[in-house]
Amino acid sequence: MAKRALISGISGQDGAYLAKLLLEKGYQVFGTARDAQMASFQNLETLGIRQRVTLLSMALNDFRSVLQSLSRAKPDEVYNLAGQSSVGLSFDQPVETLESITLGTLNLLEAIRFLQQPIRLYSAGSSECFGDTGGAPADESTPFRPRSPYAVAKSAAHWEVAIYREAYNLFACTGILFNHESPLRPVRFVTRKIIAAACRIAAGSGEKLQLGNISIARDWGLASEYVDAMWRMLQQAAPGDYVIATGETNTLEAFIAKTFAQLSLDWQEHVSSDPSLLRPSEIMVSRGNPDKAVRDLGWRAENHMRDVIRIMIDAEQGKM
Amino acid sequence: MKKALITGITGQDGSYLAELLLSKGYEVHGMIRRSSSFNTGRINHIYRDPHEKDVRLFLHYGDLNDASSINMLLRNIQPDEIYNLGAQSHVRVSFDVPEYTGEVDALGAVRILEGIRETGLSTRFYQASSSELYGKVVETPQKETTPFYPRSPYACAKAYAFYITMNYRESYGMYACNGILFNHESPRRGETFVTRKITRAAARIKLGMQSCLYLGNLDAKRDWGFAGDYVEAMWLMLQQDQAEDYVIATGETYMVRTFAEKVFERLGMPLEWRGSGEAEMGIDRNTGTTVIRIDPKYFRPAEVDLLLGDPSKARHQLGWKLKTSFEQLVNMMTDSDLKQAEQEKRANG
Repeated sequence: MAKRALISGISGQDGAYLAKLLLEKGYQVFGTARDAQMASFQNLETLGIRQRVTLLSMALNDFRSVLQSLSRAKPDEVYNLAGQSSVGLSFDQPVETLESITLGTLNLLEAIRFLQQPIRLYSAGSSECFGDTGGAPADESTPFRPRSPYAVAKSAAHWEVAIYREAYNLFACTGILFNHESPLRPVRFVTRKIIAAACRIAAGSGEKLQLGNISIARDWGLASEYVDAMWRMLQQAAPGDYVIATGETNTLEAFIAKTFAQLSLDWQEHVSSDPSLLRPSEIMVSRGNPDKAVRDLGWRAENHMRDVIRIMIDAEQGKM
Repeated sequence: MKKALITGITGQDGSYLAELLLSKGYEVHGMIRRSSSFNTGRINHIYRDPHEKDVRLFLHYGDLNDASSINMLLRNIQPDEIYNLGAQSHVRVSFDVPEYTGEVDALGAVRILEGIRETGLSTRFYQASSSELYGKVVETPQKETTPFYPRSPYACAKAYAFYITMNYRESYGMYACNGILFNHESPRRGETFVTRKITRAAARIKLGMQSCLYLGNLDAKRDWGFAGDYVEAMWLMLQQDQAEDYVIATGETYMVRTFAEKVFERLGMPLEWRGSGEAEMGIDRNTGTTVIRIDPKYFRPAEVDLLLGDPSKARHQLGWKLKTSFEQLVNMMTDSDLKQAEQEKRANG
């Protein structure tokens, strides 16, 4: 019989790629959104799988809706990808960020515990939990020093998962994913914002690209590969947490320069700084060490920053 | 220049209201909810980058679930008028996410009212109330004095918002109004609402892109107006000497069945009904093919009765007039969906 998976946050970037992967593996896929009858699900449309998944309305801060969705979908595996996903926005919307991430994860864990079913849970953690490691590569044993309401919420969710794993023997894993991008990123994320603007500029728009701090450094991978790591975590003999990263860190300036160079443009002529886009507190360098995932999951990032940029530019130009 | 804040600006009513207020010279601020899906399609045509000159429409992230984000916006914008149109607005969805619906639709209103009180602004407040409040109706037609009988988690949440708006008006002397709007439709209506579902499906059936349309209760009667006319009433309510509540409706009612007949007729596919109950079908009289069937999954756990509004008070006190007839509304929506379907068909080769 086909395995059943429930993906919360299926309308997002990771949800859409994961749904595609699981369908290819023969799963029956259920997906949830806060209002499934109203959402547009264009990411699922883009990947051509909208009609192949069953969509349910579920709000993670509404415990009853979580319980009912699990009862209806009867999943073997649950992937929790829902919640407020932007670090920048979490400074403007801290309460909703905490509710959707921390309370949401707790409601899901409680619902699984209540149902007493052998449901395996993947919880979307974040490299933001590490904060500034001073350039040292973070692994699964690196302490958390969150520097945004988003990272605080993700850190608390991380420990909730760990506690339920130990206290109640739930098969629950947190994937500590470093930045992962794709053409499905919304434009409020800096990578897509840069790619979209650069492509418009290359087509003659004449605009200026306004950015905040471009000296920050991040590890950028490709989202469609990262969802494979999520799936692998739930196929292990025992649950655990894993850092997922490419292992290669670049500055945002390098990302910009590479993007414009691919379009035969000089970035310095088109980018200006807007102090209103600076965050109240920022992580300067983010660096990840994915050795455990390579060793235990047999997972390794094939695409690095330059590949991510190429894929995103191709998709953007295809749309124009 | 007057400043207005609209919650739910990406929705049908929000987009029409934003257009209206911009045309009246307002600076318009819209609050939008995070979403990984693209959801600003209804306001893209009036939005410009705030780095450009003379921009009068601004968008801010915020959430009715997050009081801190609301207080911050009120302090930064200092609006003269707030239109609270943000909501989990789908009745059927509210049965699946009742608690979330209560958080957003009920507590969201009080979060704004408290925000106004705390910041000490003399902001005028419009609360989007709904004819769903009348639910299992106590009298027909329904007017401002008709008692409520909500029949869904959505309507229960909206009832709280209605009374808390009234309460803040009476307790703190705030200028706060409820507009009790009966169904109002437009080409921008969400695709899962029954009117739009019909016009969209009929257009696609016409072009051979879909074969059949599935509906719930064909005999449900509704009072349907044009959303563009109704946002004018919202604005008028906030321009009076005294804050009051108003019913906004056409005063006429039609069955879902009739709406469908008019739409298919417009597209040259006159309908004939055969069978009854769950086996009833709508047949295209010209071709004999079945174009409408019943799917019981669209029946609501608790259906509301005949909703028919009496807009006399709004007509007399606000001088509000309905400009668009039922016929014109049906034609406007049908023609728009036919055009969209044609574009889609061309795009897909």
